[in-house]
Amino acid sequence: MNMILTSTVNGLVLSAIYILVALGFGLQLSIMGIFNFAHGAVYMIGAYVTYGLSVALGLNQWVSLLISVILVGASGLFLEKFCFRPFQNKPTHMIVMAIALIMILETIVEVTLGGVTRALPAFVPGIFKAGSISVDNERVLAFAIGAVLLAAMTFLIQKTKIGQQMLAVAQDAEGAALQGIDTHRIAATATVIACATAALSGSLMATIFSMNPFMGDNILLKAIQVVILSGIGSIGGILVGGLIMGFLNAFLPVFINASVGEVITILIVLGILLVRPKGLFGYELF
Amino acid sequence: MQTESLKKRRRNITIAILCVITGLLFALPLLGLSVYFMHTLIGVFIWIIVANSLRLLGLSGQGSIGHAAFMAIGAYTSAILAKFLGWSPWITMPIGVLVTVIVGFLVAVPFTRVRGIYFTMVSLFFGIGVLAINQVFNKWTGGYSGIISIPRLFAYVKNPYYYFCLALMVVCLLIMYRLEHSRIGLTWKAVAQSYSVASSIGINEAWQRILCLGVSCTFAAIAGVAYAHYYVILTQETFSFNTSINVFVYMTVGGAGLFAGPIAGTAVLLIIPEMLRDLREYVPFVYAAILLIVLFLMPQGLAGLPAQLWQLIRRPAKAKLTTSDDKAGKRAP
Repeated sequence: MNMILTSTVNGLVLSAIYILVALGFGLQLSIMGIFNFAHGAVYMIGAYVTYGLSVALGLNQWVSLLISVILVGASGLFLEKFCFRPFQNKPTHMIVMAIALIMILETIVEVTLGGVTRALPAFVPGIFKAGSISVDNERVLAFAIGAVLLAAMTFLIQKTKIGQQMLAVAQDAEGAALQGIDTHRIAATATVIACATAALSGSLMATIFSMNPFMGDNILLKAIQVVILSGIGSIGGILVGGLIMGFLNAFLPVFINASVGEVITILIVLGILLVRPKGLFGYELF
Repeated sequence: MQTESLKKRRRNITIAILCVITGLLFALPLLGLSVYFMHTLIGVFIWIIVANSLRLLGLSGQGSIGHAAFMAIGAYTSAILAKFLGWSPWITMPIGVLVTVIVGFLVAVPFTRVRGIYFTMVSLFFGIGVLAINQVFNKWTGGYSGIISIPRLFAYVKNPYYYFCLALMVVCLLIMYRLEHSRIGLTWKAVAQSYSVASSIGINEAWQRILCLGVSCTFAAIAGVAYAHYYVILTQETFSFNTSINVFVYMTVGGAGLFAGPIAGTAVLLIIPEMLRDLREYVPFVYAAILLIVLFLMPQGLAGLPAQLWQLIRRPAKAKLTTSDDKAGKRAP
């Protein structure tokens, strides 16, 4: 019973992180139609900027988190303009571009800080106890921030003008441009949001687990799984997809075997892709 | 009439150049090639086969980023049979290829349901799935640590391996070239351009795509078994997602539109970082720089560079005209 409760809490926390990363990946995919494989590297850079500011420069950890989110978010403007826009209609070239970006970012970190595994100090040290279960505060924080951001994103997309414009561009870029929507501005906004959320979730993950220059690779695959499960172009569906993936990843390694759990997860994703290529909640994009 | 003879002459020149290059490659060990560089070249030959088989798959419009999985199936089958049953590698290698072909045709059947970018994603998860299955059977495959001391094809000298892999590459490339320019290759290109039009003129689209995947994974498996019995070690990282992506990068950087593309891409991206290995941890910067230069300056890829330069040298005025035409064409949707 205790194990089930703990796994549930872990599942919720994992879901929150997966959703945050997948949201950025999914936004870029549906709005610009690009597979941004460099998203994992941006996530890693976010964690390292927070680490550099708080541990190396000795700034307050919350301030450094804020600065990291702003800096990495702003770098999204550069990425969109010089790295993604020229290759928007060339998916194969975009993959090569992302590989070049990953190599540059990972090598910069490796050369300057070394490939060793590091840990980011906790934002709120301590353990949260409720009845028979106890979780470290860090996980509670990750879940809370994830939930708040998800609500904020849903509000942004559903209720504000720019969110509606994003939906329009995601559905039909040319049609949206004909209505007077500046598609490049929307793409830049989406990239900035994606980079900022990636930096935030990277910093949160670095406190729960550890950080190394290649920490983005694994989470990127999880984010792709979530996006595919929920469907390209469906932002609300990412919530459900993230929960499913988070719980699968929290329960299967505990109750079955870690490697068998991995196979089951992959088989579920493959099965959904083959039976319903557009995902659970998506629509046919191409 | 004149263009016909011109074409013939150009073709003859190309064939002559290719023969000279192949002859040079065969003669290199006699000219005193260092063992280290020979090792690098053997790797290049193996990856050229994989990169070109990926391009073959791309002919039918199926872009895969999980191609290393087929290499893995062939390599692991052959390695396990040779190591644990003690069979000769000459027997286990064809068995490994055969098993991969069967698996390839079997998975190709459900994969015909998805096209374009969805196929790419299915291939991605197929690649990860094969690795995950590899973890489950870690009793035989060794899991993360992998299999070591796989039986060798030849004794501890490089020369026979060099000739074997070179010959393998030449034969595979010849078959793939003939395939591309045969009726089957044309059919695949038709399927890639528009599956609905292809179906309407009587092409069985699903069968052609299954066939293409089956043929393509055969070559990937051939490279895989050669890899297993040359490097004699297979780990989880050998055929990971990164490997598949790297093969994709070799193909795209070289130029996916040309047959010579994957060859040029693999050779440049494997040999240049190897020659600059004194830079140690800065080598990825060189690699990334090559990728960026090709992306921004060579739209046809590395293999398209001679044609691009030729156009610049021969008719600068005309070249300018065509580029401005290109820009105008791009602006109009």
